[in-house]
Amino acid sequence: MSDGFSAAQRAALAALLDALVPQSADGRLPGAGELGLASGIEQQLGAMCAFTAPGLDALDARARERGASGFAALGAAERAEVLNAHAAADPGFLPGLVFQVYSAYYQHPRVLSGLGLEPRPPHPKGYALEQPDLDALLAPVRARTKLYRDV
Amino acid sequence: MADETVDVLIIGAGASGAAIAWSLAETRMRVVCFEQGDWMNPLDYPSTRTSWELERFGKYGFSPNGRGRREDYPINDGESPIHISNFNAVGGSTILYAAHFPRFHPSDFRVRTQDGIADDWPIDYAALAPWYDANARMMGVAGLAGDPAGPAKEPPLPPVPLGLLGETLARGFNELGWHWWPSDSAIATREYEGRAACINLGPCIMGCAQGAKGSTDVTYWPTAIKSGVELRTHCRVREITLDERGMADGVIYYDGEGRERRQKAEIVILACNGIGTPRVLLNSASARFPDGLANRSGLVGKNLMFHPYGLVTGIFPSALEGYKGPTGCSIISQEFYETDRSRGFARGYSFEMIRGMGPVGTALFAMSTGRVPWGARHHEAYAEIWDRTAGMVAICEDLPEECNRVTLDPALVDSDGIPAPKISYRLGENSRKMLDHAVARGREVLEAAGAKETVADAPLAPAGWHLMGTARMGRDPETSVVNEWGRCHDVKNLFIIDGSIFVTAAAVNPTNTIQALALYIGDAIKRNLADLFA
Repeated sequence: MSDGFSAAQRAALAALLDALVPQSADGRLPGAGELGLASGIEQQLGAMCAFTAPGLDALDARARERGASGFAALGAAERAEVLNAHAAADPGFLPGLVFQVYSAYYQHPRVLSGLGLEPRPPHPKGYALEQPDLDALLAPVRARTKLYRDV
Repeated sequence: MADETVDVLIIGAGASGAAIAWSLAETRMRVVCFEQGDWMNPLDYPSTRTSWELERFGKYGFSPNGRGRREDYPINDGESPIHISNFNAVGGSTILYAAHFPRFHPSDFRVRTQDGIADDWPIDYAALAPWYDANARMMGVAGLAGDPAGPAKEPPLPPVPLGLLGETLARGFNELGWHWWPSDSAIATREYEGRAACINLGPCIMGCAQGAKGSTDVTYWPTAIKSGVELRTHCRVREITLDERGMADGVIYYDGEGRERRQKAEIVILACNGIGTPRVLLNSASARFPDGLANRSGLVGKNLMFHPYGLVTGIFPSALEGYKGPTGCSIISQEFYETDRSRGFARGYSFEMIRGMGPVGTALFAMSTGRVPWGARHHEAYAEIWDRTAGMVAICEDLPEECNRVTLDPALVDSDGIPAPKISYRLGENSRKMLDHAVARGREVLEAAGAKETVADAPLAPAGWHLMGTARMGRDPETSVVNEWGRCHDVKNLFIIDGSIFVTAAAVNPTNTIQALALYIGDAIKRNLADLFA
């Protein structure tokens, strides 16, 4: 058995991405589908693709029952309906995939920018962090008597 | 063929091994340290990559069982609700620790006398105080003098900035009239002894790429090596060997190529943590010590203590900038530290504030708690928690119980074929009641700080960071493994200096005390050199 997905499964996965994380209403955050995450997720899944592939096939099958050529051919509302129906029938299908999608999506530079972050790792630039007025903030604590026991 | 005999062989280059190596360097004895791991390269740490948040699921994870590194050894912790977290490298678990660096309280050394439970230590706070001070200088401790929750101290560096998150939580404590204080942190808040200043990267617990965190590879080791200590990496000790008099005469170990070798030594010092040390002792059974080396008391491996953790996360109505700054170092509270029997349990706990999560961590937290759905409502729900979480952990004092123990697994072995440790642990009734109290108080203070919702997880499963008690110290050879300065009762040239020798666990992160003890024992060895084995 191949480690990767078939062409049809890849098409279903690409369509699935936007169903899981669509574009935000204000347009600041892209849909997961337009970020080209599918190949990275397939690579990340590796041999585990074998466990995800039947679910992708099932989405296509459910789409065909509706007269479409596959899951990717459905509109957004129908994709959500099909996905909900399949998730209810096979509760093990989505959690692992959603983990992979969120993981890939929320480290993408466009998403970081959309969240108001600089699209970079923490190092080497780091972050500035404020020190509040500790004297004022600690005044009530300093006013207390000692809190530890003598021995 | 055996290598040349060395004067002192230290096993383990982590928190305690590094400290005692530095301490003994001035004797001009030939001091060699064996470390099963290697040097780490800070520029390889996850914070240098955008994928940094995910790497805690890989080779920078807490569990040695999940990392898949040859340098680690497997641990069977399937019979424990708390799973072992450690790291094997030069620096040991300080590579991944949060660098939260509090001291014990004086009462922590007198638990039997003060509270009628567990046992007293054979030493007291005053004996360790000068070594806490020395350790603060070597590790570079940031903090603020004047804390009414403990004896006076003068941290050499200014405290880590609280940031908006720390300030928000501090106001919650003030609202309730509860104690809090800026955390003592082994973090260089300005340039210090060749270390760069902290730039608030965030994920200290996956290694500090800046080199500002006080892991012993960047604190004690450079100085110890400059002073003549030899540190050999990829040397994994299988057992300690004895001569015909019953004195330790060296070790059998495996080098990086898996070849079995011997090293002779006049003095052997174990610094392998509360799991690794009993493992070596139990693997060193012989005709003279059929139940494990230095185990005539039968206590090697017993009385394992963790700090059961309760994690409480608050979701706030506005942004906290929680992804900035050292994860575990902002403020501490010891409002509930000392015993108050009206709470329904003995001893107590500290609260340590935890900063917020990055974008991926937020999404996965949301997923695991069912807070953010996939689909049309995803972004709206995500926006309600992104950068709006702040957490706190309650670090509860565990009590020593002989049923909580480390043994050798009958089947599991490491990559060199050495039997691996097995953990048998169950949460005691006192710890359980304490966790319940702590979670309730944690929710209360987060709500006082403005949290609109709280989520709790206790005991926190991956929180087996603090490994203590499995070769306890004491004056009576019948009820302890080492004496009041770390020397094994049964083997006079064998010392133990890590968390194994703790008599009780206190309710704070133990690294500072482990290192102060190592310095204290190093001093005792130096003072007694003339008649060390008399």
